[in-house]
Amino acid sequence: MKILIPLKQVPDSTVRVKVAPDGTSVVTEGITWSISPYDEYAIEMALERKDADPSTVVAVVTVGPERSRDALRQALAMGCDEASLVRAEGAAPLAVARALAKVVAEAKPDLVLCGKQASDDDQGFVGPALAELLGWPHVATITKVVPAEGAVELWREVEGGHEVWKAPLPALATVHKSEKEPRYPSLPGIMKAKKKDIPERPLDALGVDVAAPTWTVVSMEPPPARGGGKILRDGDAKQIAERLATALRDEAKVL
Amino acid sequence: MIAPTGGGIITGLYAGAAPLLLILTFLGFGAFFLRAWRLYRYMRLGRDEARIDHPWRRVRDELVVYLGQRKLLKRPYYVRGLAHAFIFWGFIVITIGTVDLLVDGIIGFHLPGAGNAVFAWTIDIFAVLVLASIAIALVRRVFFPPPRMHVALDGYVILGMIAILMITLLLFEGAGLAAGNLEKGFTPPPIAGAILRSFVFPGESSAVVFFWSWWTHVVTVLAFAAYLPQSKHLHIVTTLPNVFFRKQTPRGALGLIKDIENQETFGAASIRDFSWKQLLDGYTCTECGRCSDNCPALATGKLLDPQKIVLDIRDQLLRDGPKLLGDAKAETTPPAHYLESKPEELWACTTCAACVEACPVTIEHIDKIVDMRRHLTLMEGSAPPEAQRAMTNIERAGNPWGEPRETRGDWATDLGVPTFAEKPDAEYLYFVGCAASVDRRNQKVARALVKVLRTAGVSFAILASEETCNGDPARRIGNEYLWQMQAQRNIDTFKKYGVRKVIASCPHCFNTIANEYPQLGGNYEVIHALQLVDRLISEGKLKVGRGTAEAVAYHDPCYLGRHNGIYNQPRAVLDAIPGVQRVEIEPHNRERGFCCGAGGGRMWMEENVGQRVNHRRIEQLLAINSGATKVASGCPFCLIMLEEGVGAKGVQDQIRPVDVLELVAGRIEN
Repeated sequence: MKILIPLKQVPDSTVRVKVAPDGTSVVTEGITWSISPYDEYAIEMALERKDADPSTVVAVVTVGPERSRDALRQALAMGCDEASLVRAEGAAPLAVARALAKVVAEAKPDLVLCGKQASDDDQGFVGPALAELLGWPHVATITKVVPAEGAVELWREVEGGHEVWKAPLPALATVHKSEKEPRYPSLPGIMKAKKKDIPERPLDALGVDVAAPTWTVVSMEPPPARGGGKILRDGDAKQIAERLATALRDEAKVL
Repeated sequence: MIAPTGGGIITGLYAGAAPLLLILTFLGFGAFFLRAWRLYRYMRLGRDEARIDHPWRRVRDELVVYLGQRKLLKRPYYVRGLAHAFIFWGFIVITIGTVDLLVDGIIGFHLPGAGNAVFAWTIDIFAVLVLASIAIALVRRVFFPPPRMHVALDGYVILGMIAILMITLLLFEGAGLAAGNLEKGFTPPPIAGAILRSFVFPGESSAVVFFWSWWTHVVTVLAFAAYLPQSKHLHIVTTLPNVFFRKQTPRGALGLIKDIENQETFGAASIRDFSWKQLLDGYTCTECGRCSDNCPALATGKLLDPQKIVLDIRDQLLRDGPKLLGDAKAETTPPAHYLESKPEELWACTTCAACVEACPVTIEHIDKIVDMRRHLTLMEGSAPPEAQRAMTNIERAGNPWGEPRETRGDWATDLGVPTFAEKPDAEYLYFVGCAASVDRRNQKVARALVKVLRTAGVSFAILASEETCNGDPARRIGNEYLWQMQAQRNIDTFKKYGVRKVIASCPHCFNTIANEYPQLGGNYEVIHALQLVDRLISEGKLKVGRGTAEAVAYHDPCYLGRHNGIYNQPRAVLDAIPGVQRVEIEPHNRERGFCCGAGGGRMWMEENVGQRVNHRRIEQLLAINSGATKVASGCPFCLIMLEEGVGAKGVQDQIRPVDVLELVAGRIEN
């Protein structure tokens, strides 16, 4: 089985995001980048298949700027077999999906696993859009994949249990979580990944227009700074409770 | 030795004595050397490692640790330690006599001085001391077997042999005296003399007693030699080199993997990846169980047993040795998987060094555990998931908590603490460390230190977001690569600002920067905050005023105490605070201090087997019943663990964990 994982490089979750002076983007200077967490789960899920069946081939691809090469290296270090880069600066989600559709057509994977959403813009767009462009079955937010004769069982967590969906191959699923935490790369894995060739091509080589229907960011604002808490001290329990209720009603407006 | 000289009793009794003795000697020592040679070849399967630095310190260790038996005479082992020392010293004296006896028996030549009364007296007294010590050892084994000691037949065989040697020695000495072999004019030695005068040897029978006791003695000596390398008592021989080749670099420094990017395997993938010295440690283990007695993981019900770690490596060497001698590249089990339970054993270690401290024969347990962890982490990527999370956080955010890198200096903003960029001529770098940077409880300790340093007029600056984790947890989890990256990053930053002197309030930062950064070319004058405060107080630069009178228990952080020998300065600081009465957590204090459970990367791993180490520590603290209302430490991890412990035990109103720095800062006269 060949599994392809389109991944996205995003600001690491430990980065404190700041709005850039232009008011329409975030500061990317000097920050740490990493693979979007749901994409990491997708990689782990695919690698668990590979652990179970060594003939499985796991490939990763990303549509992004030069720096996203590091994310591909990380995926290779974790144990993925192949990686390729489609170079694009600021490609819109639909353009990304179109580019990925071309990549899938060439690579002919049996299964495409996407993170259910990227942790930076949280749109959850590319996976379903890619399935639509390919005309493939799509199952969202899966937690487990089990191969079945010519098909796959895709497990979804629901309240109090699981749903098991069966899809013919090829298919696309978006990943909510893997059974295990994404693996920490071994050092030989890191070293091997450093030497591996990552082929790249520009977006237009795939015949995709960067500026495909998209949106314009009008403005970005950081969330308002949290004010300090208030401690009610004076008075007995009853008085304090009264003042608390008043404050919750009049100031916080939650009652 | 009071053995008969030419034409004496042996030849008188048995003409074929010399050739027979020669054959027996040959057989006894032949068996010894055959086995010893095999063990030596197994040992040489290990990795090369130079252990000849600091030759004079090595000689000193031989005198103190080997001849002086220093590491045997430790709390709480004084009686048995002394018993061992007497057996050992007796053994040395008597071995000289034995050599004389064999040489004389075979070629009829006495070693110089062997026949005089001083030597006879010395042997006589030691034979009795050895017998008494054997009695102590037997009584202990039979009636009060130490829980962690491996009491096996082996031990009784050896004790029995030594007892036979001593009794026969006294007998033939006595008989020899009766035959008139002592130099004229000397007083006969007391015990042999008593035997001489007793009813044992009336008249002619002295010759018969001499004959039989002499031969029994000689045959036992040779049997002993043949048996030795088959048993744990090989330590009689191996302790000598094992002490000589012990690590002379700081105890807290783990070994560097050089040129890491170009290696193919990391850590102990095979028994061959241990250094020869690690393998020699296995031959030297006496199975006394002192390491296990003192292990906090074992004490709280974890699978780890430091003695077993050493013995498993020895057993695996003996098992895989023959195969590897045949084919150096033969497939063998990685030591980290020698047993199914092995990884779990290895992950339970807090690297507190209680085992290393307790070992009488200078075995280095931690290095082996970390070598096996390196295999698990670097080769297999199989560190526990929580440890992997901590490593990812260090990699991406520069701290194991995963707090944003750029907020690292936020604790100091309202204090106006300058960064090195703002104050390039600062004398000291205060290396804050992750805990005091991002953990709210420990930020208070950092703030306390700032107040102390300012009061004493110390010129310092911090690195704020340019500082990154020193790498200690990563290295101890086995991730040498991540440690090297973190260390190099700090070293580069230190270089950029020309840092020469470093203050650390965290013993882990202190240990790593002082003892391990030199491996990567980073040499600084590093001082722990409590050492500096001690100095500032004694130089009169810091005046500590009187606050509330209170009793404060001192908890020794492993990386200050056992790893770096800093026991006295933190105590001196406590003693210098008027109104504070220092309390010791006896007997688990100083070199027997009990770990808080957070070292060796354990801070970031789940602890769900047995009792939590920090809860045991709180029980020890409560058991001293000292009326202490605070427990002070000098380590952010200890502080976190103690805080959790008092909370879990519900005693937070009785005893409050603090850092010594907070006690000082709270009483500063402005």
